[in-house]
Amino acid sequence: MTQTTTPAPPAIAGDRALAIAQADAATAYRDLSSYRVHLSLELDGWHIDYELKDPRMKGGGPHYVIDASAGQIVSKRYEQ
Amino acid sequence: MRAPTIAELLADTIVQRALDIAWSDSLVTDPSRRHEEGGWIYMEVASGTIAVRRSAAGAQASLDLSAPPVVTGSVVVGTFHTHPNPSAEGWNPGPSTADTLSAIILGVPCLIRADDGTYSTGPDSRRGGLTGGPGYPP
Repeated sequence: MTQTTTPAPPAIAGDRALAIAQADAATAYRDLSSYRVHLSLELDGWHIDYELKDPRMKGGGPHYVIDASAGQIVSKRYEQ
Repeated sequence: MRAPTIAELLADTIVQRALDIAWSDSLVTDPSRRHEEGGWIYMEVASGTIAVRRSAAGAQASLDLSAPPVVTGSVVVGTFHTHPNPSAEGWNPGPSTADTLSAIILGVPCLIRADDGTYSTGPDSRRGGLTGGPGYPP
């Protein structure tokens, strides 16, 4: 017989992680209307990536990893 | 006649001057108004003469170079733009993933002026050479 365990849900929900990223991104980038946001829960936390909607555009957006238990920004990268 | 390589574009005085002016126009010392500037690099097919055209100003961290104006007898052989946000404040000065992806899609080299130098990404020269008509290569 095999025993399986279901991972506990993260203490920080996705919408909370997104709000944390959005607050930082809005300060750094001023206008985020040209970006599409990708959110995924990985082993090291929430990954939140802002990508330009039009793939022919030059530029870049912010990229975050947010601790899923404490809600701190573990890493961030500002692309341009 | 063949399409210029990234090294040849970076060595061209017209391109260097265009990067300098775009950088100056980017208002890099003004945190509330700094923005991307850039444009297109053309080669006249018959003579090999290099020329540049500027695009409309971009946003703080993006620029639309998807629709180059048609220049009779010339084709687009590269794009150029600035990265005006300071690396000292954590901004990546080099090509973004989108810079590289768009250069591959558009089919021409992408030159970038940042606060720590000049970068390039994308193909080494115009896809398919000087054929394919005005604008970007097919």
